[in-house]
Amino acid sequence: MKLRCPPTSAANAPRHDGRARSAAVLGLLIAPLLASCGVTSRMEPYKQTDAVIDDGERVVILARRHHANHEAEQEFINCISDSLSKGKDGIAVHPSSEFEDKMYPWFEPSMAPLSTDDLSKLLEKPGVLEQVRETGVRFLIWLDGSTDRVASGGGITCAAGVGGAGCMGLAWWEDDARYDATVWDIKELSSAGTIHADVKGRSVMPAIVIPLPFIARPQAAACRGLTEQIRQFLTTPEGYGAGPEEG
Amino acid sequence: MRAVFRTVCRSTLTATAALLGACVSSVVVDARFPAPLIEPLPVRMGILYDEELKNFVHVEALPQQSAWTIDLGDANLALLSPLFERMFAETRTVDAVPVAPALRDTLDGVIRPRLEKFEFDVPIGERDEFVEVWMQYQLTLYNPDGSVVTEWPVSGYGKAELTGRREDSVRRAAVIAMREVGAAISTKFAEQPDVSYWLRERQDEAALSADLGS
Repeated sequence: MKLRCPPTSAANAPRHDGRARSAAVLGLLIAPLLASCGVTSRMEPYKQTDAVIDDGERVVILARRHHANHEAEQEFINCISDSLSKGKDGIAVHPSSEFEDKMYPWFEPSMAPLSTDDLSKLLEKPGVLEQVRETGVRFLIWLDGSTDRVASGGGITCAAGVGGAGCMGLAWWEDDARYDATVWDIKELSSAGTIHADVKGRSVMPAIVIPLPFIARPQAAACRGLTEQIRQFLTTPEGYGAGPEEG
Repeated sequence: MRAVFRTVCRSTLTATAALLGACVSSVVVDARFPAPLIEPLPVRMGILYDEELKNFVHVEALPQQSAWTIDLGDANLALLSPLFERMFAETRTVDAVPVAPALRDTLDGVIRPRLEKFEFDVPIGERDEFVEVWMQYQLTLYNPDGSVVTEWPVSGYGKAELTGRREDSVRRAAVIAMREVGAAISTKFAEQPDVSYWLRERQDEAALSADLGS
């Protein structure tokens, strides 16, 4: 059983009846622990053009994969792509693997353009610009970053005997989801801007007889936040404000 | 015949691997590889696929882990066939080099790809998140009479997140490494000094033939 972290200030204390007194004590013990469980996020969008996406134009979201020790997870790319295309104000998203296949080999990790100058040179190669036009992709969004465990501690001890079994203790861990989305405008052959997302999530698992995991999901929060920022980025001219922030 | 050979070969390798470790992880790399988006080189090329390449199976027992068999035979053909078809104006498979005298006037050269090295790593610790694959092919370019023009080693590296089954991660990393090899071959083959010189010679010959014909 996994529970999501409750709102940071909401402690649902049981009231009145005698049987619940022990639960209330338990709740009082656990409440400070739960208060430390939660997600904090920071979004920093920077848009340097007033370009917006038009009808019939699409975006493609690709992972930067030239780093030796990290790369944006495929499930995160899929999450952003799916979320961006959903809803009544959904944006047309070209599937990333299909785009890489159509443009093969120019977007493989060792070949992918690292700057808009590289992109300009790439588009001069025979057939490349025509193929990009065929995909309908106007904006290319590079996702760079990863979700990593940055800290963990505590411990839980479990024991079993003739009379039963139980656990005691407290474990916690902190995950940090840091991603940069760099938006390139293929039509203008320029960088349209970047969005930086940093979402930290602390999970706790107290165990008093049974372990109760309260799980923070910073990667899911980063996906939601970044999706909303990208949507605004692509549909609002220069100078739009920061999107909703959690935590 | 090829299927029988392959089954016998795979069974033997798997049995060998089973002796090396308590259990065996088997991976068959089956993937579709796209044709590259490049301009074809104006030469007629014969392609020689050895049985070894077509039936390539890597067997290795990793320390503190199970033995692995990684079958790349079909993937080799799936990668290289569309690649060479797009890279050259004309291609045809040949059985041997030097090519039969009847074919010599129909080909400018022959390419023989071989998979020389295959290395991989599957992490044990929780902090290591990626499976890694490194492979090196050797491309030999021959004249139709069998003389070697050049030998070119081409390597590719791929890594994949360690999620779900380890076998799936190894398969994904191998596909990424093979795509890298395909990228290098398709974009850098003509830039190799010996190949570049050979291509110029073929173009000069073609121009001379055209002049004599007109």
